[in-house]
Amino acid sequence: MSAKEPLPEPSNPLGIDGLEFVEYATSQPQQFGALLQKMGFAAVARHRSREVMLYRQGAMNLIVNAHQATSALPVVSAFALRVRDAAFAHRHSLDLGAWDMPTRASAMELNIPGIHGVAETLVYFVDRYADFSIYDVDFVPLAGTEARPPAIAGLHWFGIVQSILGDRTADWLDFYQNLFGFSVLPTGQYFGVLPKGTLLESPCHKFYLQLLEPPPGAEDIRWDEGLVRVGLGAADVPAAVKALQKRGVVFVDRGTVQPSEKGALTQPYLGGVTFELVHSSMGT
Amino acid sequence: MNLDDFGMDTITLAGPLEAKLRATREAGFTQIMLNATDIVGHPGGESAAVAAVRSSGLRVTGFQVLRDFEGLSGHLHAYKVDVAKAMLEMCRDLGSRVLLICSSASGHATGEFDALVRDLQKLAMLAVPLDIRVAYEALSWGRHVNLYTQAWDLVQAADRSNLGLALDSYHLLAHASGLEPLEDMSAGRIFLVQLSDFLWQEVRSPEERIETARHSRVFPGEGVHSENVIELVRKLDAMGYRGDYSFEVFNDDYKQLPLPVVAQRARQSVKWITGRVARRSLPARRQA
Repeated sequence: MSAKEPLPEPSNPLGIDGLEFVEYATSQPQQFGALLQKMGFAAVARHRSREVMLYRQGAMNLIVNAHQATSALPVVSAFALRVRDAAFAHRHSLDLGAWDMPTRASAMELNIPGIHGVAETLVYFVDRYADFSIYDVDFVPLAGTEARPPAIAGLHWFGIVQSILGDRTADWLDFYQNLFGFSVLPTGQYFGVLPKGTLLESPCHKFYLQLLEPPPGAEDIRWDEGLVRVGLGAADVPAAVKALQKRGVVFVDRGTVQPSEKGALTQPYLGGVTFELVHSSMGT
Repeated sequence: MNLDDFGMDTITLAGPLEAKLRATREAGFTQIMLNATDIVGHPGGESAAVAAVRSSGLRVTGFQVLRDFEGLSGHLHAYKVDVAKAMLEMCRDLGSRVLLICSSASGHATGEFDALVRDLQKLAMLAVPLDIRVAYEALSWGRHVNLYTQAWDLVQAADRSNLGLALDSYHLLAHASGLEPLEDMSAGRIFLVQLSDFLWQEVRSPEERIETARHSRVFPGEGVHSENVIELVRKLDAMGYRGDYSFEVFNDDYKQLPLPVVAQRARQSVKWITGRVARRSLPARRQA
């Protein structure tokens, strides 16, 4: 038995500082691009060599990867964490038991390190986001576009929803707590109009992950693990809903998920993609 | 407690994988513990072995066995992590939710508690995305961990939801370990229980324990410690353990008997155990 003093671990060992980008994979990028534009994102750059586009809205970067995509349904295929030192974050994660990502899966030419997340998804580590952007190397700006299109109603990343199998919450809590320093919010503390599952807060307090086990009585429905949806934060949800409705976005307007001060949920698009709006002042 | 709570282990049976699966199913069992050699040694390759298991209709109790994993450093650690990853992937492919790891017998392994905890945590982390539970067993000849209480201390300290204990009655009996410590353990953290007995009263040296463990185990009800096995099952049942019991019976004689004969002996053992455990739980007859 070691006689080491039990000092607490640093609460943010990787220096996580928010989400750098969220990546979707789809074999029909144009169709999805049109939906993203409705949601306020603008295409700003194209990958130098692959069928990959960069969309932006305010501080949000969203990558649409059609390179070797097999499914038309756009799925969240990766997210990138801003960290203090990407190489350290990668090494640290592998030391703790993360699976290294296959290099061929990377959307980037740059050597952006990453690990396996849930199912087929990846988690990247990015440390160049302040004065130099990773996109400057891999992407060519689209002519005649604004490099930094403003956000509609102050929309910003709020979080990512992950579906998990039954009785798997504790496993995934272990994963996010031990690898990245996420912490669990007390039971009952929810945001938005979908108060379910378990909420984890990033150690930088800038975004959330929501873990959803299959609802009771759902034995007959197909429920796989994966990243199912992004949540966009808005200081004034009704104003954001109104602005997006004007652009043609349809929100579910019945039952418990109808738009409110707390949040709103879009209708499913393209066979199942939804976006959630959540009341949040983080972007202000 | 009934037949569905018990499973055969392929190491008890001779012959090809398909014959083992068939004999197990035909004896009425619904689950089977698989060994990596069943898969990689299959003449049709791994995919054929996986297909045979998946089409057998049997539930996979678990997949074994990761050896000498914890306590290594440098290139030995990196090598074992690679082995562990390959085993985890096979485990997932087979539809097994449990990977069995037995405590290290390696002379290269440290016994430093914190290092062992760290390695078990790492293995548990590797298993999370694959939805696999890691069951850690104290081998009675393990170099630093050879008592189930030591394995439990490590599991407790590692504190990962998918890391639990595997109990093998053989190793408990070989060390004459008492069952009292079980009372301080949580049934939910016991992921697998392996049952067997043996024919000698004592196995004192590590060499004797290894020799007996690998060649001369018998089914519960056939050996000289079977009452202790029943006591173990009763204790586990009383503390709320509702997981699987797997017959891990390494026996050279059984390896040269027809598979249905061995599977029938396993059936008799289930009957013997359930009869004795159930009898205890019947309400006491009311006095007239």
